[in-house]
Amino acid sequence: MSPGPHISDDNALAGEYVLGVLPQAERLQVEQRMLREADFAALVASWQADLSSLDDAYSPQPPPPGVKARIDARLFAEAAKSQGGLWGSLMLWRGLAFAGFAAAVALGVFGGNFPGSVDPAAGPALVAELGAPGSAVGLVAALDPASGAFTITPAAFSPDDGKSLELWLVPGEGVPVSLGLVPKDGGRLVLDRDLLSQISDGALLAVSIEPLGGSPTGAATGPVVLSGALGQK
Amino acid sequence: MNQDDLSGLIAHIALGDRKAFSALYAQTSAKLFGVSLRILKDSAQAEDAVQEVYVRIWRRAGSFRAGQASAMAWLVTIARNQAIDMIRARQPATLEYDDAPEVADPDPDPEARAALSGEARRIQTCLGGLDSDKAAAVVEAYVEGLSYQELAEKNGVPLNTMRTWLRRSLLKLRECLNT
Repeated sequence: MSPGPHISDDNALAGEYVLGVLPQAERLQVEQRMLREADFAALVASWQADLSSLDDAYSPQPPPPGVKARIDARLFAEAAKSQGGLWGSLMLWRGLAFAGFAAAVALGVFGGNFPGSVDPAAGPALVAELGAPGSAVGLVAALDPASGAFTITPAAFSPDDGKSLELWLVPGEGVPVSLGLVPKDGGRLVLDRDLLSQISDGALLAVSIEPLGGSPTGAATGPVVLSGALGQK
Repeated sequence: MNQDDLSGLIAHIALGDRKAFSALYAQTSAKLFGVSLRILKDSAQAEDAVQEVYVRIWRRAGSFRAGQASAMAWLVTIARNQAIDMIRARQPATLEYDDAPEVADPDPDPEARAALSGEARRIQTCLGGLDSDKAAAVVEAYVEGLSYQELAEKNGVPLNTMRTWLRRSLLKLRECLNT
């Protein structure tokens, strides 16, 4: 067994992350640590600052016309659709996130809104708060082992028309496994027994942006926008 | 446009200023599209990436801290992360080490760069303290967004060897940069 991959040095790991060489599961784990550990996030920031002088290697290349219009349509058409605008819901979400994530989870998830959700015999509920580094925006996925379903409290953002958000289980080894599409306005995502058995405390979840109806290949094809680990709350 | 101007635009974007957003796009989209194209090597994907990047910039502008990073470095970091996330999502999520025995690191003198001058802080100087193939791997990984698998193939060494080399190189670089 080689000692190489097991040299556990946060400095090297932070550098590997900034270089971008890590495979997806390790990238997500690093991003989780950045959210939780300020010291580790500072290591990443110092690598980013040091390596940014290599950015000169990127020659500017104007994007095709029309790209800006599509970005605007995405951001601002979305805002017009949802009441109070995207920005409003984002601020509301941030407020919720800071003021009482736990309270929101308790109200939204454990309020007994659906039958069969409370069965202490089936083990404790597991909750993941999915976010992205540098942002409090995200969604909450709570797994109720009794009903075998996730309850998803909606993200402050929704994907473009023509896109879906897909929830993935990112295993310690192997490729991510699709758990299904994130319901557009939150709600339940029922898992089959086989999937359920693969999920345990500490499991890493991720959300990617996929074509409408989900990844056509069974593997994540779009960018991962959120991630988080399941734990008991 | 200087970094202060860019920082000012980002601050306005954080407040929801669409004009500032358009101005930032005009000033920076060529650079960020260049980043996306270099890493993804496909213009349709780079277009998708750059859209995602500006959506993120709009949403995350409030997290930019001018004291911590230059504005352009912050923007390029978002673009690099987006492109790298997109290609990593299509590759195996974890590294599959083969059983090949690890190749010894030919660098005989890890202390050789200890005598570098006071200017060693600069990344180029510190890269100069690495073996040329190691320095090239660091730069190529960063600029092209290569995976460990791709680096190992390019360098003709087993995956575990590649990772050991790169991690050692990073630790040497860090030591040099901190000097």
